[in-house]
Amino acid sequence: MVSIIGYYTTQFGELWEKSLFSLVGEAIDNVLIESGLEKKQIDAVFFGNMLSGILENNLHASAKIAEILKLNIPIFRVEAACASGGSAFNLAVNYVKSQAAETVLVVGAEKMTDFSPEQVVGGLSAASSGEEQESGLTFPGIYALMAQSYLNKNKTKEEDLACISVKNHFHGSLNDKAHFRRQISVSDVLNSAYVAYPLKVLDSSPISDGASSVIITSNKKIIKKAKKPVMVLASEVVNDTISLKKRKNLDSIEATIIAADKVFKKTGLKRKDITVAELHDCFSIAEIIAMEDIGFWKKGEGASGARAYSTMFGRSDNLVVNTSGGLKSAGHPVGATGIKQLGEIYLQLTGRAEKRQVKGAKYGLAHNVGGSGGTVVITILGN
Amino acid sequence: MISPVKIWRRQRHIKDQLGKTGKILTWTKIYIAAKEFKKNAPYYVVMVELDSGRRLYGQLVDLMDEKISIGMKVESILRKVRQPSQDGVIAYGIKFKLLKDE
Repeated sequence: MVSIIGYYTTQFGELWEKSLFSLVGEAIDNVLIESGLEKKQIDAVFFGNMLSGILENNLHASAKIAEILKLNIPIFRVEAACASGGSAFNLAVNYVKSQAAETVLVVGAEKMTDFSPEQVVGGLSAASSGEEQESGLTFPGIYALMAQSYLNKNKTKEEDLACISVKNHFHGSLNDKAHFRRQISVSDVLNSAYVAYPLKVLDSSPISDGASSVIITSNKKIIKKAKKPVMVLASEVVNDTISLKKRKNLDSIEATIIAADKVFKKTGLKRKDITVAELHDCFSIAEIIAMEDIGFWKKGEGASGARAYSTMFGRSDNLVVNTSGGLKSAGHPVGATGIKQLGEIYLQLTGRAEKRQVKGAKYGLAHNVGGSGGTVVITILGN
Repeated sequence: MISPVKIWRRQRHIKDQLGKTGKILTWTKIYIAAKEFKKNAPYYVVMVELDSGRRLYGQLVDLMDEKISIGMKVESILRKVRQPSQDGVIAYGIKFKLLKDE
């Protein structure tokens, strides 16, 4: 069984004094310390990153990381839009399972705040279809199309969406590494400016810098020595059309439905066995849709679930969602996000989530989405 | 940046999509746009299902102060879609206007 034996994340936020690779370096050095490993024990590295090629004219990261590590080992860069981190992790797990290596470091990172919002929005839109770009759609715009479809079908209001952001900011206020650590109210969300109607600034995840890393291994000696290993019970990637318009349902992400069914079938777990989950809340609507698609909520019940704050720390008696603060409050350095989600579950399952520790967490799920649902990665961890 | 050749390749297919009617499946109004569309913001973008069943995206233009909603009928028209590139090629494409009550 492949296990995670260590996790580290840098601060998420506007880190003007740090470059992409100084963040990567910090994430690598510290995850080695966390895991109690020497760097020569690392057999391979998987690096999740989306934008460095577009924004910084900076490719061939494998060689740059080899330079940082001073190691001659295989290193792979993985790009799958906002699911770059989750995809890098999934590939690393399969690399270990196929016995190409025993111990693999997975690092995800993104440097976004060096650039203007227009440049970043334009860069991110490279992950949408040519037609979507040509019509002037942005990612907030594409999720707004999904939100409109959902609101129209399900008697949901903008206030209901706002509750997701309120919950995630509350969680973020308990996470020292989060980009935003202040609580917000429903009226703060409703009074924030529109980005793409009906989504507002406070429905949307921010543009952030950050790097996160985990080390996985199948080496029994290392696992035995590790203070707190967590098992990777299942990890699945599912792809779908890049264009939203090519999909039958506009108020649901089918790749999430398929990936969720697969991981639950593989592990034999039930939805109610999961007590902590990190879901891809790039926009408030996305968390509601994910809750329904994964099967935590019934289709159409998202608005009432959000309004009742039924997945909030301290209020939920079963599942707590996005204890890290989610993408909304913890921040969304695109390539790092998928790794941070897994790391947050790792912290929860090993009892190290400090002020936001969910008592007795045994199984956790991480859900990472690329684009408007063209890539979905779902992983279940357990101990 | 979009190559002028790519613009030419895309524009060859526009005529097949012109003058078609359909209904709005979903819509949004973009306030924060990418650089090439910034000048037009805020603007409406609609996903339309044509009578033929084909789906297209486009901006909804020529509006007065109509309230936009899902299901409204629209017609496809030819418009400039983005600011000219450095090579000076003007990119034309499909936009939509509301169909007035018959």
